[in-house]
Amino acid sequence: MKMARQNKDGWQYHLNQREASCLRSLLQQFPITANVPARISRTDADPKTVEREKLLNESLAEHRKELKKQAANLLGAGKFKRGESGCLLTLNPEEREILLQILNDIRIGSWHVLGEPEELDPETSPQTVKDLVFYNLMNLAGYFEAAFLHAFSSDPYPGHD
Amino acid sequence: MPSVLEPITIPKRTDKKETRSKGQFAPTYYVVCWNDPVNLMVYVTHVFMKLFGWERQKAEKHMMEVHEKGKSVLVREGAEKAEFYVHQLQNYKLQATMEPAE
Repeated sequence: MKMARQNKDGWQYHLNQREASCLRSLLQQFPITANVPARISRTDADPKTVEREKLLNESLAEHRKELKKQAANLLGAGKFKRGESGCLLTLNPEEREILLQILNDIRIGSWHVLGEPEELDPETSPQTVKDLVFYNLMNLAGYFEAAFLHAFSSDPYPGHD
Repeated sequence: MPSVLEPITIPKRTDKKETRSKGQFAPTYYVVCWNDPVNLMVYVTHVFMKLFGWERQKAEKHMMEVHEKGKSVLVREGAEKAEFYVHQLQNYKLQATMEPAE
């Protein structure tokens, strides 16, 4: 995967057919987990903290609903255009941030299902078929995050074209 | 008889001194990002640059602090703005909280 073009309106990425198929599949599966309660503070005992935490979790739930809609938009006509040697994905700045958030939600959600392991070594982490599925989802989402960000910064991304 | 203007008395200027005690100031909060083993370093750097408008060098410094020390204080703000930043950071799935600064 690499950046094919960049202008003031956004970016165009070139993906081979396999990458495009994997990315589309990931987007179709979002969200892969239910909402996980988030904390707003680790030390604050202020009564306002309870209310703030409630607001945070409501806001995060709303945001995920919006991401779900945006995931459908990204899968819609016109975003992935087939070319001779793969696929062109065109993103404006807002869409790119949304895509990164969706991918990271999948990555973090998979990690959560795996029991939030400290060790992400493939030799030790997956214990069951289910674990293996979520381990692969986590890694695939991470692959695309890194690829998009490296492509954006124009840094070489070894081993991928 | 010519009229005599009353002299205008200009009130003596006095600089207002802050009289509020320390406890009366609106509380401020540190926005803290905590380490986890799953968020990619390049992603964390990107989020810091995006949300705070930082240069890459500053964003990477905070990212490395999270990675090596377990947490980094990103900004110090009033409650409302600190809460806003925590919401934004958590939308990106970073482990961020607001902690009382005092």
